[in-house]
Amino acid sequence: MDKVLVELKNIKKSYDDTEVIHNLSLYIKENEFLTLLGPSGCGKTTLLRIIGGFETHDDGQVIFDGQDMKDTPAYQREINTVFQNYALFPHLNVFDNVAFGLRIKKLDKDTIDTKVKNALRLVKLEGYEQRPVSKMSGGQQQRVAIARAIVNEPKLLLLDEPLGSLDLKLRQDMQYELKEMQESLGISFIFVTHDQEEALTMSDTVVVMKDGVIQQIGRPEDIYNEPKNRFTASFIGESNIVEGVMKEDYLVHFEGLDFTCVDKGFAKNEPIDIVIRPEDIVLAAPADDRINGVVDDIIFKGVHYEIIVLVNGREYIIHSTDPVNVGDEVSLNFDPDEIHVMKRTDEASS
Amino acid sequence: MKHLRKLSYPYLVWMVLLVFVPTLLVLLLSVSDLDVFNAGPFRLTFEWIEFLGKPKVTNAVRNSIYYSFLATFFSFLIGYPVAYYLASLKTRFKTFYVTLLIIPIWSNMLLRIIAWEKLFFPISILNMFGISFDLIGTDYAILIGMVSMYLPFMVLPIYSVLEKMDRSLVDAAKDLGANDFQTFYKVIFPLSISGVVSGTIMTLLPAMTAFALPERLGAGKIQLIGNVIEDYFLKTNNINAGSLISILLMVVIVFMFIAILRFDKEGETLI
Repeated sequence: MDKVLVELKNIKKSYDDTEVIHNLSLYIKENEFLTLLGPSGCGKTTLLRIIGGFETHDDGQVIFDGQDMKDTPAYQREINTVFQNYALFPHLNVFDNVAFGLRIKKLDKDTIDTKVKNALRLVKLEGYEQRPVSKMSGGQQQRVAIARAIVNEPKLLLLDEPLGSLDLKLRQDMQYELKEMQESLGISFIFVTHDQEEALTMSDTVVVMKDGVIQQIGRPEDIYNEPKNRFTASFIGESNIVEGVMKEDYLVHFEGLDFTCVDKGFAKNEPIDIVIRPEDIVLAAPADDRINGVVDDIIFKGVHYEIIVLVNGREYIIHSTDPVNVGDEVSLNFDPDEIHVMKRTDEASS
Repeated sequence: MKHLRKLSYPYLVWMVLLVFVPTLLVLLLSVSDLDVFNAGPFRLTFEWIEFLGKPKVTNAVRNSIYYSFLATFFSFLIGYPVAYYLASLKTRFKTFYVTLLIIPIWSNMLLRIIAWEKLFFPISILNMFGISFDLIGTDYAILIGMVSMYLPFMVLPIYSVLEKMDRSLVDAAKDLGANDFQTFYKVIFPLSISGVVSGTIMTLLPAMTAFALPERLGAGKIQLIGNVIEDYFLKTNNINAGSLISILLMVVIVFMFIAILRFDKEGETLI
């Protein structure tokens, strides 16, 4: 898990004078499940296509397995891709789709048979060999696409929002299956998605991107619990983001009150952003040393209630399993380690 | 939608008067002794079949097959790359280029044939550039004429199939290790086959039944089946033999259209 498989150095890419990837550097280790997460248009698919060899970068280096890929066309890279719309060959049946790469490599018929059978078993599509791909459901097509890619035993598998067109239940099942598959095959996955839940569920490492720039790289827990900026905080799950001031190490001031926290290393009185996750706030009776507000709305979400509390004209979202009444006066309670302090970024809240 | 059906009546009348009735007449003529001098009582006969064995007819059939297949082959050879190139264009002038290809079809075919004819005589406007051809009555004249007439009919169906093809399939083929050549013959060509079949038939049919083109560019030396039919009807007054050949030709055409429909069930390549 330590050896670096892919290294991207200072990648730049423009389309018609618009730079879509700005000086991006990133590395992927062997056997790592890495997710590129960001809103549409953030450059994540372009980055994936650069690694796959379908786009050329304007500047920088893609180093794969110790070699610069500059002059290696897509078809010579030991990388396979599961495309967004699967891109299955409509004129071929399931078996021939999966065997496509092996036949290009001119393997003998028995080897091809065995490998295709194994790949189809892995994606639970045994017995579908002769089925035309057009006669299969979205979920099945997606499995064929995965089988077609992994049968070539690539060192790296690229997945471009492969779960996007599946319904919720199937998508969740496939998330676990993909993660399991990645662990049992022992190959690196780069997974592109705009779905934060998908990213958090499956990944070893999440890379949050915006406008062609990496916002944060980290384990899912770190990304969720310690977002580095306003964008990451609001993109990964629902959150309450408040402006405040860092009075000194471990002491933060916001909503007119001082709170102890676990963050340090900021300048004295540095303006900062604070994020508090909705599930970290507990409602109690109003108190003088707490943030007090009025319940504005309550929505039943199944697992929990989503409660909107108005504090000095600002909305706080709270997730709680205990219902309250609209109009109740409440105080917001949270522990010091649930206050996440982030460097202030210039952008407006998004 | 029932009340809209009335709007199709003029077309029905048209079909019955100008297609159905004449076809029946031709069919009757081909199996009877009715002709311009005998409108009265008639008897059924298959005697016209013996005309099919005449050298004039067999020769024309051979010519028709020979020239139409060669012309179709060259049209495919030239047309496929053109269609591929047009389909892969990313500029906003794409429609403009496709229109350029279609424009010749809008001018009268006879006019274009005569234009070629003028160029193929030794004395022509080309002498201005120091060029002189003497091609009238040769294979070259017929083939160049046919390819230039029917090339758009080969290009358009192939173009429309390639245009609609999902570009990510090409990425997928490359991703799986196929080089440009392998990508073409394992993915792109098989997926465009319905366009190739339509294009082939759209070229083959008019080439096979052409009669103005061989008459002008072949200078009467090269006769196709269309010329023989014309001869029987207008010159030798044997409208029965002419009818029989026409009917057989129609049967061949119908079979070819059935072939198109088998390859292209939605008819999308026929534009």
